[in-house]
Amino acid sequence: MSSMKNGSATAGGGRRAAWWLGLAILVMGAVWLNGARSIASTTNYVGLGPSAIVLAVGLGLVLLGFLLIVQALKGQLAPPSEDEEEAPFSRPAFLMALAGVGVPLLTIRWLGFPFSAMLAFTLVTHAFGSRRTLLDLGIGALIASLAWLGFSRLGISLGPFFPLLG
Amino acid sequence: MLKRLTMAGVLALGLGAGTALAEPAKVMIPANPGGGWDGAGRHTMAAFAQSKVFTDGASFTNKGGAAGTIGLAEFVRTAKGDDNALLVTGVIMVGGVITNQTPVSLKDTTPLLRLTNEYNAIAVPANSPIKTPADFIAALKADPGALSVGGGSAGGADHVMLALLAKHAGAPVGKINFVAFSGGEILAALGGGKIKAAISGASEFRAFAESGRIRIIATSGPTRVEGLNAPTLKEAGIPVEVGNWRGFVGAPGMSDAAKKTWLDRFAKLHATKEWKETLKTQGWEDAYLPGDAFDAFLKSEDANWTSALKEVGILK
Amino acid sequence: MDILNQLLGGFAVALQPMNLFWAFVGCGLGTAVGVLPGIGPALTIALLLPVTAQVNPASAFIMFAGILYGALYGGSTTSILLNTPGESGSVMTALEGNRMARRGRGAAALATAAIGSFVAGTIGTLALTFLAPAIAELAFVFGPEDYFALMILSFTSVAVVMGRSMVRGFAALFFGLALGTIGIDTQTGQTRMVFGTLELLDGIPFTVVLVSLFAIGETLYVASRSGAAPAAINPLSGGSWMTKQDWKRSWKPWLRGSVIGFPIGALPAGGTEIPTFLSYALERRLTPHPEEFGQGAIEGVAGPEAANNAAAAGILVPLLTLGLPSTATAAVLLAAFQNYGLQPGPLLFATNPDLLWGLIASLYIGNVILLILNLPLVGIWVRLLLIPRQYIYGGIVVFAMVGVWGLSTSWMDLALMCGLGLVGYVARVHDFPIAPTLIGLILGPQAEIQLRRALAVSQNDWSVLVGTPIAATLLGIAALVLIVPPLLARLRRRASAEEEPATSAGRAG
Repeated sequence: MSSMKNGSATAGGGRRAAWWLGLAILVMGAVWLNGARSIASTTNYVGLGPSAIVLAVGLGLVLLGFLLIVQALKGQLAPPSEDEEEAPFSRPAFLMALAGVGVPLLTIRWLGFPFSAMLAFTLVTHAFGSRRTLLDLGIGALIASLAWLGFSRLGISLGPFFPLLG
Repeated sequence: MLKRLTMAGVLALGLGAGTALAEPAKVMIPANPGGGWDGAGRHTMAAFAQSKVFTDGASFTNKGGAAGTIGLAEFVRTAKGDDNALLVTGVIMVGGVITNQTPVSLKDTTPLLRLTNEYNAIAVPANSPIKTPADFIAALKADPGALSVGGGSAGGADHVMLALLAKHAGAPVGKINFVAFSGGEILAALGGGKIKAAISGASEFRAFAESGRIRIIATSGPTRVEGLNAPTLKEAGIPVEVGNWRGFVGAPGMSDAAKKTWLDRFAKLHATKEWKETLKTQGWEDAYLPGDAFDAFLKSEDANWTSALKEVGILK
Repeated sequence: MDILNQLLGGFAVALQPMNLFWAFVGCGLGTAVGVLPGIGPALTIALLLPVTAQVNPASAFIMFAGILYGALYGGSTTSILLNTPGESGSVMTALEGNRMARRGRGAAALATAAIGSFVAGTIGTLALTFLAPAIAELAFVFGPEDYFALMILSFTSVAVVMGRSMVRGFAALFFGLALGTIGIDTQTGQTRMVFGTLELLDGIPFTVVLVSLFAIGETLYVASRSGAAPAAINPLSGGSWMTKQDWKRSWKPWLRGSVIGFPIGALPAGGTEIPTFLSYALERRLTPHPEEFGQGAIEGVAGPEAANNAAAAGILVPLLTLGLPSTATAAVLLAAFQNYGLQPGPLLFATNPDLLWGLIASLYIGNVILLILNLPLVGIWVRLLLIPRQYIYGGIVVFAMVGVWGLSTSWMDLALMCGLGLVGYVARVHDFPIAPTLIGLILGPQAEIQLRRALAVSQNDWSVLVGTPIAATLLGIAALVLIVPPLLARLRRRASAEEEPATSAGRAG
């Protein structure tokens, strides 16, 4: 559901009028409307039923999505905010950072928290233009292991250190 | 907030002296730290250590969510065949398995025993015209919708108890007016007269009843709760007995020898004065029910809850 | 005078060296967990509960009080410097605080947050000392319809954080409301919008949304635009301290924040977030510098931070006087009392005055300790920004993972972090405000529950919603808040058509 809103990698574009964002909100609204329909309406409850709010939220999202599309097609969606000292968008950097956030999804069950966090750290530093891979891996491993150890001592389990070893 | 944490060795106060399986127990708590199940797990293991019945210590894993069924699923998945793995369980999990229609259930574990119970109480605002259980039943019968009754989350023991009371009163169960609350809000709403009555754990009401803001009109156990001047429902001729029981089950495929070892340990624990002390400080009723009797009890709970949840409209 | 004597007795307990030591430990721990995303005071105290077996009650509660207050002091730091709030109570602080930091005024923002927390914490503690029994009675006066009216009044504060486009602001708000509907409906036990996933039955954890939208979204955004000249901010370019002007602009918001925060915090369903929303909205309406809001107005940091801390003192009112826990933190504190076989309530003041008054005295001391700890830290914190950016953001991602994965080591939570992080990024790029999403997620479910409780109790008689004086008054204020400013703006525009059209338009938003 959440991923629905961002659509695909087209997210990277500039601040042009984005009609697809309106569409995403509209689709999300439709999903919620459909969800409200399928929530069993309990007659055994005295007050407002469980589907009323879902219905209202769905209607709101559909309406807002529609308005966003109209605004986008009219070219009314606001210009970029003027206060940022903007560097141009860099697709490789964006994808690298996204990989950093996403890679633990693939690895955390096999490699555990410390190694996954180390990989995430290194990918993010590379997205920022760092090329000292070994140093970054080292710093990442250090931070991640310290976090794992520290939180384990506090009593917060971050899973096994290295699940592949049992 | 944090649903999971392990606290290995915190309670490993025991000084060696190995019993049969000289390994710490691995206790899965299917709730967040601080709640009822968390207390049941940790205080029980602490009593084991203090009474020297089982001194090999315990490690805890909290995995809360979905009425304990997420912890149950995790336990069935990870603890298979582990003779030292225990899961804290209780009536809420029985209800959760039924309402969430989870693929795993308590049948996938090795039931050990019921250990404690916390009976419910019915309370009303101090100035309420409802003074006895009979008054409550009469009000329920006269107009179930007008009698707003607060309680914990929908589908929980409080809700089911109201449904059973309505059934006894001959009122349509579909018309009861159950209002769900969480935490201390229910006490404020009841004390302020925002709701007509409330059903919750007897210990929760006690302090407010003592300060005279609310009145406890009945408790739901087989005997009166010590120190509470309120009759049981049974005394009032209402055959409704609902309690928030808690107990332990073992890992799926736990060996018969290990099952016997654990039941022996719990039997020994149950006889110690340390355990009696724990029951008292925690406000738990002794509800020791081991082995086969517990198996039968689980089956009857499952049947009772399925029918009650159908009647309150939670289960289709 | 009786209260004063007992308070003095409390200070005698709290000032014992051992108890002072525990107060320091608590304040330090609290500040640390406040900085980390997802790890709050409730969890920290829950983890330390076993300590209660070894320490005497007075020392334990003095330490817990330090954690409670310390987390609030620490929570503002990451909001201001990195735009990544660690707790729900510091979301509003990020709005203006981070803008200030970007303009090189980070030190002043941190200072006004710390001093505001001190002022409000002390006022809140004074109110707790002298007004607690009276304020506690509010708990019984407020019914579901009154809470619902309070939520509606809080929703009107969303209007001021909408950004430049109402449509986008509402889209963000409804996105948050939609996320808030996911999970089991507490009133009927029906599942809603869980798409057959067991992990979603309890809803999307607030921490995951907070961390993803802010920290992950921010990281993706900055990374994708870091290629050219690194935009180095000199953290000290705006002076390292509050100017005379800053003081002048801060003291009233501190006081107003305290006045809003304490009573709402004292309500069983009040919490610490709502006062920050209301305070931010109020400061934005009252400020003589409306043009600075959205660009880093110091009032927008001073008010919410004060409201947050005063509310924390308020939370102790129903807990200590009635034994009524109103937040997760209060529930854990109640469990701690019960571990000692103590039941908070009026009786406890009679049976254990040393413990209770020692605890209350330690709140005063804790505030002083935290001020002493935090003001020098301001200089150190701002220098964090001098660390190369790749390491700051790499570290943010690692700690975001700690907060999300540590919740319940759930893969689903990590996936949500990734997806919602992208949403946060898209929002940033396309100029959607994030705060309305979080406000919707916090207030939506609460407003829904209170509305439905009110209607259930009244058996679907909608007139109950204006049926009490409190509800009617709060809804009236909410209506005025919505109607009056645009009206005034229109009148003003008519009066001086050529003067500052941007200002009035901004206020009308």
